[in-house]
Amino acid sequence: MEISKPEFLQLYYYLLLTRAVEERVTVLYRQGRIAGGVYTSHGMEAISVGYACALQSDDIAAPFHRDMGAFLVRGITPGEIVAQYLGKRTGPTKGKDGNVHLGDLNRGIFAFVSHLADNLPVAVGAALAFKLRGESRVVVTNTGDGGTSRGDFHEALNLASVRKLPVIFFCNNNQYAYSTPLHHQMAIQDVVERAKAYAIPGEIVDGNDVAAIYLMAQSAIQRARAGGGPTFIECKTMRMHGHSEHDSAKYVPRELLEEWKKKDPILKAEQSLKQLGYVDDVELLEVRKRVEKDIEAAVEFAEQSPLPEGPETLEGVYAETLVEVLA
Amino acid sequence: MMTTAVAHEVTYLEAISEALDEEMSQDERVFLLGEDIGPYGGAFRITEGFQEKYGEWRVFDTPLSESGIVGAAIGAAMMGMRPIVEMQFADFISCAFDQITEMAAKNHYRWGAAVPMVIRAPYGGGVHGGPFHSVCPEAWFFHTPGLKLVAPSTAYDAKGLLKSAIRDNNPVLYFEHKFLYRRVKETLPPEDFFVPIGEAEIKRKGRDLSVITYGAMVHIALEAAEQLDQEGIDLEVVDLRTLSPLDRHTIVDSVGKTSKVIVLHEATKTGGIGAEISALLAEECFSSLDAPILRIAAPDTPVPYSPPLEEFFLPKARDVIAAARQLVAY
Amino acid sequence: MTTDIIMPQLGESVAEGTVVKWLIPQGGQVEKDQSLLEVETDKVALEVPSPATGSLTEILTQEGETVPVGTLLARLDSQTTNENHVAVDQDARTIAPPASMSSPGAEHPSPAVRQLAKEHAVDLTQVTGTGTGGRITKKDVLNYLAKQECAPSVTLDSEKDGAGHRTAPIHEEIVPLTPMRQTIAERMVQSRQISAHVVTFFEMDFSSLEHVRQRQRLTYLPFVIKGVTQAIHAYPILNSSWSDTGIVMKQEIHIGIAVALDDGLLVPVIQHADQKDLTALSKEIADLAYRARNKQLRPEEVQGGTFSITNHGGTGSLFSTPIIHQPQIAILGVGAIQKRAVVIDDTIVIRPMGYLSLSFDHRVIDGATADRFMSKLKDELEHEQEEISL
Repeated sequence: MEISKPEFLQLYYYLLLTRAVEERVTVLYRQGRIAGGVYTSHGMEAISVGYACALQSDDIAAPFHRDMGAFLVRGITPGEIVAQYLGKRTGPTKGKDGNVHLGDLNRGIFAFVSHLADNLPVAVGAALAFKLRGESRVVVTNTGDGGTSRGDFHEALNLASVRKLPVIFFCNNNQYAYSTPLHHQMAIQDVVERAKAYAIPGEIVDGNDVAAIYLMAQSAIQRARAGGGPTFIECKTMRMHGHSEHDSAKYVPRELLEEWKKKDPILKAEQSLKQLGYVDDVELLEVRKRVEKDIEAAVEFAEQSPLPEGPETLEGVYAETLVEVLA
Repeated sequence: MMTTAVAHEVTYLEAISEALDEEMSQDERVFLLGEDIGPYGGAFRITEGFQEKYGEWRVFDTPLSESGIVGAAIGAAMMGMRPIVEMQFADFISCAFDQITEMAAKNHYRWGAAVPMVIRAPYGGGVHGGPFHSVCPEAWFFHTPGLKLVAPSTAYDAKGLLKSAIRDNNPVLYFEHKFLYRRVKETLPPEDFFVPIGEAEIKRKGRDLSVITYGAMVHIALEAAEQLDQEGIDLEVVDLRTLSPLDRHTIVDSVGKTSKVIVLHEATKTGGIGAEISALLAEECFSSLDAPILRIAAPDTPVPYSPPLEEFFLPKARDVIAAARQLVAY
Repeated sequence: MTTDIIMPQLGESVAEGTVVKWLIPQGGQVEKDQSLLEVETDKVALEVPSPATGSLTEILTQEGETVPVGTLLARLDSQTTNENHVAVDQDARTIAPPASMSSPGAEHPSPAVRQLAKEHAVDLTQVTGTGTGGRITKKDVLNYLAKQECAPSVTLDSEKDGAGHRTAPIHEEIVPLTPMRQTIAERMVQSRQISAHVVTFFEMDFSSLEHVRQRQRLTYLPFVIKGVTQAIHAYPILNSSWSDTGIVMKQEIHIGIAVALDDGLLVPVIQHADQKDLTALSKEIADLAYRARNKQLRPEEVQGGTFSITNHGGTGSLFSTPIIHQPQIAILGVGAIQKRAVVIDDTIVIRPMGYLSLSFDHRVIDGATADRFMSKLKDELEHEQEEISL
């Protein structure tokens, strides 16, 4: 499969935007302006940007916290994300939740919970709804190498495979679950081994190659849409920052980080774009400038947004149900 | 499956089947998922014949995956379906605790995505099920904002509450008491009816003493009331029907009138729903109280298996009678 | 010795079983664990093995009979003892009362007794306690007060007010007036004095509306509001108010809806109700009612209504004669919708029927106008289905 210039430029824009949003949020965090924790996808942006760009507008993404790119691609604005981090009323959770814990059904993206792999059965359920109604929509979900040791991961894969549901499971294998290296998490070399037990076709892809991820997601999505059932895609990558910005990650060997720095997904995308003859340096600069402007506007929007007021705490515990309302 | 064209007598169990059947036939979004609910018809035969009528996708047999099933129901609910999960026994709901309390309960509060789903949980003892087939787990979820909890005691309430639960836009845990399945019967009206969530019902009006209870214990309280009536003691029996959100008004009104109260439940005592009701009465009803608030509940042990042990464990009408006599004399 | 054969409990929820077939005839010999009879329940059908070796002396439950679990089915004259019999000590457990139950202390009256004594200025030393340890109960205080009431007393005159009634009420309790209660009281009496209330009743057939309503998952109310706005367009005089200089015809239609609260009533207003579709009306009703009940309405949201609706049928009422919300000219009451046998084309059929009542101000509207308005409303509601599509 070939990747066209507009497709690749879109991927590139979202790679840059993802990194810029997260870098800006990290700066705000270090300035003491963010009350809670900051979790970034630094160095792993290609995964969620790649799979999210392969979705159609009525598909569903059920991401986890290393998937900032998916939120942006699905149309959550940088301003909303900064507002979310700042606890503002204009964030998608109106201050009820922080960091990347956000979602919007209208934009086809689920909010995840901190309990890793909880989002997988939920993604399977959305796929079940599509299958029940005979719709050709698909769901893409993602979790880390750490999440694949949880029961929900296995229950989700099994259920999806038994009923051939249109769901694609990504795994961001960034080598560490918080501080625990892969070899203390599982006795296998490749996470993709786990898919075999459920008879789900498994693939391994370079997690820093946005074009490869995009193309692989496309073919898995196509197969799912056609009734072929789930696919498992392991993306090999490296977590370049700590588990969160308060974690210096001293447990990760420096040499490993140095080695992976050379494989940075943005560098890689720029090299490919040039090799394909799609862009020159001037055009790349233009994209960077566009991203810078977007970020400036986002921060301004978020800073000018109001904070919620205390009593708003009480709102929204229950969804309203229409009942006879009159006396 | 039953048809409901005319007034007809049904068991509590049949009332549940009828509610499912009616809602499934009226609303294509409603579907069932659970273990052995398909050709087998469920461990208690509630969905017997359903798969023939509605097909294998709307009556969806799942692997043993309580957490996966509840998670899938949440995902389907967010996509506009109205899933109903059957826990084979309420005891197994612990496997799905995380999905219920973290995903389903918090979803709407966090990001406004409603989760209109029902989890049916066959619960309770008196059936020699032992520690893993008898539990009353409602208090685990009572402490979780965002969930609704209902626990009917009659066939009428069983049907009406289930229909309301299916139409509710929130996750509703529906506690159906196994002991009542085939033991209580009632003639139900032929037309569509609903029992609103959040409303208790006074099952017996009385003057001297309120018994606040729910589920199978409603029948224990009524049995006690009948015997006490012969001694001139007039019991009021309040059936909560909905545990969350609690109908505080009916509770406070009843005790405000009688000034004496027994809080009765089959679940174990410490940290049970009775504890919350007692605290509520102490806070909102203090100046009406003419005696200490009494709780009657199971002792703080797992549910034992052997008949004499289970007999000892479960609250009885004679417990209510003894407590009522003490309170009236107080 | 004799061994009892009982109906076994075959499954956690099973309460009864049917004897399908006795595999050993009365008087026949049976070995321990040999199949004795076939039993069927809601859940299973299976053979029951004999608990002992012996002869089946007596069959008490015949084939085809359904009996509760534990029922004696037959007796076996056996050589071995039956180990399965469970004896349960009926007095195995009693609930231990809290410590406060056993030593209440007569000197510490309960909160209810203290409250009652305070309200009625009762000297508790004068009251005889009949509770545990001589404790004074609420009943004791009530009995004491009742006796005071009946006892002839020389001080009686001083307790009388001007009208000759006694001032100290018995078995009564003063609940303080809330500001809402006071406002409701004033406005209701005032309205009765201002307007010349007349009520007209119409019965309506809700069957086609019911159909549409079910399909769209809406309540009746948005339909009623829509019908009212259409009827007002036909008879705008219903959307007016009285003034000494003339009748004020209102150009906008703002519909007030009565919402019952735990401790009163509010009438939030749907602005420009005629310009909203059913879904919008439905959402706004739910929102206003929710916020009314949670005391979150803004003042402007309960003002400016031009016509009001009260759904007294929600609490089971058939007819009512609602009081007009001043300065409006009419209020519509919606009664409970019930299935009734009605005659249509000389055939008795079952239809969901309901009574609608219109209280109107005869200073402005005459009976014929009111009835024409109601006929129009009836027509709108009874022919709802074709005009609505989602």
